[in-house]
Amino acid sequence: MVIQMDRNLEALSLSGVGAGYGKERVLSSLSLSVKKGECLAILGENGAGKTTLFRAILYLLPDIAGTIRVLGRTVKTPEDGAWVRSQVGYVPQSQGKGKLPISVFDAVMLGRWGKSFAYLRRPTARDRELTEAMLDVVGLQDLRFRDCRSLSGGQIQRVNIARALVREPLILLLDEPTTYLDAASRDVLTQLIDQVRKKWSLTILMISHDGEYARQLADRVVHLRRGRIEEGLEAVS
Amino acid sequence: MSIWEYLQIPVFQRAFLAAVVAGGTVSLLGVVIVMLNLTTIRFALMHMALLGGAVGLALGSTPLAGATAAIVLGSLLLGPFSERLRLDTGIIGAFFMTGSIALAFVLFYKAGVPALDVFGLFTGSILSLNQSDLWAVIGLGGVILLSYMCLFREIQLVFYDPEQAEWLGVPARRIKNGLLFLAGLSIGVAMKVVGALLIDALILIPAMTAMRLSRGLLQILLLSSLLGVATAAGGLLISMLLDMPTGATITLVGVGFLGLSMLFRR
Ligand SMILES: Nc1ncnc2c1ncn2[C@@H]1O[C@H](COP(=O)(O)OP(=O)(O)O)[C@@H](O)[C@H]1O
Ligand SMILES: [Mg+2]
Repeated sequence: MVIQMDRNLEALSLSGVGAGYGKERVLSSLSLSVKKGECLAILGENGAGKTTLFRAILYLLPDIAGTIRVLGRTVKTPEDGAWVRSQVGYVPQSQGKGKLPISVFDAVMLGRWGKSFAYLRRPTARDRELTEAMLDVVGLQDLRFRDCRSLSGGQIQRVNIARALVREPLILLLDEPTTYLDAASRDVLTQLIDQVRKKWSLTILMISHDGEYARQLADRVVHLRRGRIEEGLEAVS
Repeated sequence: MSIWEYLQIPVFQRAFLAAVVAGGTVSLLGVVIVMLNLTTIRFALMHMALLGGAVGLALGSTPLAGATAAIVLGSLLLGPFSERLRLDTGIIGAFFMTGSIALAFVLFYKAGVPALDVFGLFTGSILSLNQSDLWAVIGLGGVILLSYMCLFREIQLVFYDPEQAEWLGVPARRIKNGLLFLAGLSIGVAMKVVGALLIDALILIPAMTAMRLSRGLLQILLLSSLLGVATAAGGLLISMLLDMPTGATITLVGVGFLGLSMLFRR
């Protein structure tokens, strides 16, 4: 079955995208399109370029070849890039806890930076309300005054997701969110991802190295190999 | 003499004011050194300050001017390289410490710098601050306070998660280099207050104490500042009352607070 994709239904589309670091090209003529509300899992070996793909989508790399369209807007200039980053929530790979003592509340609220507070503009009542709301969503309301450094890996990952969600994104990029978690915290996180996805009809791209797990959670699973996307592994088989 | 009698003397008034202002503000940069892993760079800057101070003395200008010049140069050079260059702490430490101290002694000898001035460079000479030194201290303190007030959330984000700071569009690199530059200038001021080898007493130790006891950046800053004032001003008063060298007394007070904080927690 061939689905003709309507532009209005498309969250993300990449065609002929090349990107990398200096001379080293990690991605080459990569094409991918993701529907609004879809949950896509991206599999691939270590070093395949999965994280690089996210960086290209977020316009964090110099010299990106090809066409990237996010929510209907073609991304060509640094301004477009900044706009993309304001629409996308990003949870990078393996974030450590950091050395700074910081409360769960503050850590989540910092995700609002650039949205409504920055420099001399202080966080507003709305920033605080949204932060409270996200703490509820990820189930960390009771721990809001706790120092992030004393949290478990699963709790930290929930802080990171709340920090991405508090930006009110339309698209969520998760880079190996479950890698360092035990089975129990992984299940909590899975439920959470499912729940927020339905709640805001979020489009989710999730990088994973666990095929089994990716197929459970995602609508569609693709492979990143030799700098390109290889489709074919359907989720619900 | 009692404290009140001391406080009538202009030289002492100036020193006391400088101790309060410097103690309350340069200590705010200790957290920067810890959070941004600048301990090696701070060590290099300390010794550049020492050498600059020695050059200043040898040329007959003030050591503070020489030290400041050396530090401005040093932090502008080292800042941009701090990430790219993976500095080897051991080598840098040995290189700067032995090299700069040896060079300083050669300078002292060749220029015939009086022994008392040399002693002052190593142990601090807050009682010899002149009016323009005091203004320099107040100016630097003002810039430090203003930076933290205007950029509090940005600095918090750079410390907590530099990667997110970058992609959200916080000018993380400029903030880091700016803070390193202020830390460099603070090292110059601290050298004048406690001496070249005890600079940590005023910048790093109050912050380390505060970080043991605090639960957030704001608490760290308030407590660092408070401890900095207590260390510098308290040390100065004690040194007058008990007739002890000022820089060393200030340092002992700072170390004392750190020791107390170890008893309280962990
Ligand atoms: N900042 C960087 N500078 C240079 N090369 C990089 C950088 N980040 C990643 N690479 C290289 O790009 C390739 C893909 O990396 P990455 O996208 O992180 O892979 P994955 O996330 O799939 O494990 C690897 O060969 C890696 O060495
Ligand atoms: Mg990766």
